[in-house]
Amino acid sequence: MLSPLQLEEFEQIDFLRDRHVRFFQRTLQVLPERYASLETTRLTVMFFAVSGLDVLDALDVIDRNNMIEWIYSLQVLPTEDQSNLSRCGFRGSSHIGIPYSVKGPGVLHPYDSGHVAMTYTGLTSLLILGDDLSRVNKQACLAGLKALQLEDGSFCAVPEGSENDIRFIYCAACICYMLDDWSGMDIQKAIEYIRGSMSYDNGFGQGAGLESHGGWTFCAIASLCLMGRLEEALSQRELDRIRRWCIMRQQSGFHGRPNKPVDTCYSFWVGATLELLDVFQYTNYEKNRNYILSTQDRLVGGFAKWPDSHPDPLHAYLGLCGLSLIGEPNLRKVHPALNITQRAFQHLQQLQQTWRDNAGTCT
Amino acid sequence: MFYRDRKEWADLEPVPQDDGPNPVVKIAYSEKFSDVYDYFRALLKKDERSDRAFALTAEAIELNAANYTVWHYRRVLLQALQKDLREEMRYITDIIEEQPKNYQVWHHRRMVVEWLNDPSEELEFIADILSQDAKNYHAWQHRQWVIQEYKLWDNELEFVEKLLEEDVRNNSVWNQRHFVISHTTGYSSPAILDREVQYCLNQIRKAPHNESAWNYLKGILQDRGMSSHPGLLEQVLELKETHCSPYLLAFLVDCYEDALENNNQKETLNRALEVCEYLAQEKDTIRKEYWLFLQRSLESRFGPSAASGEPLADGTEPPAGNDCHT
Repeated sequence: MLSPLQLEEFEQIDFLRDRHVRFFQRTLQVLPERYASLETTRLTVMFFAVSGLDVLDALDVIDRNNMIEWIYSLQVLPTEDQSNLSRCGFRGSSHIGIPYSVKGPGVLHPYDSGHVAMTYTGLTSLLILGDDLSRVNKQACLAGLKALQLEDGSFCAVPEGSENDIRFIYCAACICYMLDDWSGMDIQKAIEYIRGSMSYDNGFGQGAGLESHGGWTFCAIASLCLMGRLEEALSQRELDRIRRWCIMRQQSGFHGRPNKPVDTCYSFWVGATLELLDVFQYTNYEKNRNYILSTQDRLVGGFAKWPDSHPDPLHAYLGLCGLSLIGEPNLRKVHPALNITQRAFQHLQQLQQTWRDNAGTCT
Repeated sequence: MFYRDRKEWADLEPVPQDDGPNPVVKIAYSEKFSDVYDYFRALLKKDERSDRAFALTAEAIELNAANYTVWHYRRVLLQALQKDLREEMRYITDIIEEQPKNYQVWHHRRMVVEWLNDPSEELEFIADILSQDAKNYHAWQHRQWVIQEYKLWDNELEFVEKLLEEDVRNNSVWNQRHFVISHTTGYSSPAILDREVQYCLNQIRKAPHNESAWNYLKGILQDRGMSSHPGLLEQVLELKETHCSPYLLAFLVDCYEDALENNNQKETLNRALEVCEYLAQEKDTIRKEYWLFLQRSLESRFGPSAASGEPLADGTEPPAGNDCHT
């Protein structure tokens, strides 16, 4: 008979796979009105759920084809006269009121345009669901992306204007990487902005002068890796200093800034950065795992930022990714820069090979 | 009363959301919510520029302040209808106080400040937001933008010192300190650099277990000769006895590494390796593997088996046992 303490310890290390599967399934269905603030970012929420199910190797529980159709309905396609090319990409949701359609030509609407984070998560979600991206208007996406980059190298989210910072450089790098086409961005300028965001303490802030932060550090390093420019942009000395800043973020789990509380999502943001820098192996896996699992919601599934807090799709997904990084059994491995499973990544590589082969034959 | 029942709105056909046959991540809106947004979508489609549209944006914002399209449309209306921007400042002040972690509201405020070309309320407003959450990233970002754009540097160091007195562990404030000084006096003068070094050490004496202070100290010295700052190493070694922390010890390793790069001495290397061992086994065990990795790395770079002089013709390193004085 287990003592209460032994029972508690057993429960603490028990990873509740099925609860998480059901958590993501519910996320993909209907959310209550209190989630209204997620309306314009619904596609990112879908990405968390779909990629989460992929990490759990449970994609078979959803109807992939129906989901693929919904994603394509969010594509902002060129109008007949192609006058909206610089606004193309993917929407976060149907909130503007464009009638449902999965094919072109695009509908002319004064306020309809893509959002860089939605184009990024739209493409990744399609890949995860096994789509071949053949209905993506790649040239339009890249034109829309190009229109978002500013003189200083950073990106806005939407052509109407928004804040600009390193998050959207990461989204842009993912888009170019997936579409295997870097004409959508000025890499040199982006690298300058990234370098300019490095703080005196060797982490990266959201922009020059701003406080270094685990999320922005991930965006910086992952972007450089996707561009294939990590060692060109940063010296060995700088890389060592960045490694030190990142590895100091571990307290039990990880926090995002010095003297802040730990939060499950940083197990991925900082963990993945450390993995990209080859030093994740030197972190303490047990303490990291124990923290992530302490934020697991045993009733409804998912993970929260802190123990005894409400789970949400972002923390549920990144908690899983954090566990995947430390090699938790029965979780698929995650590509640390692109933030999709290695399985989905291989699908992308095969697709890109097909595109290159086809390009060769179409002269 | 729903918009669909108001006669002044009867000319507009509401536009529902259309997610097609298989909606994903669908949010279940109440009738009231759908009603407001169905009419918002109708206005948007026409690109109507009217007072009724402007009024509706406030309702839409109240229901979802994260909808960037609503904010953009409101800005279009602010300009098209020549609305009172001072009133808009009051409005956005209230909204940010309620929802200080929302990107759209801060961006909106920035736009209004730019249009008015008047930053006079900003520092006080941001200070108020920071008094509720002293680490709010949006608040600090807005503050840095205002200060840099309108050259409001004069009192910021004073503000920083006040906040550090309240919480010496607030990393955002240390960052702001660096921001202010690097954009005003800079760190190149020995007087300033020394003042900052002493400031750090004083804060460390008061609160030794403070990564922020140590990061700042290392940050301002790492490219200006950590090991060559007069008297610093001695002060740190003294602090080690009474105010030790993993951060102090890491700083020590970095000092030794800096010294080794300029003058590779066996004694210095041994000290560095010892501190790594101490960190790994006792003072920062969560990072044990990292400190051991660093130890190996230092050994490999500066130890007796490291290359000195030219490699042999076949590309191999000289045999181990050579003294390595670069």
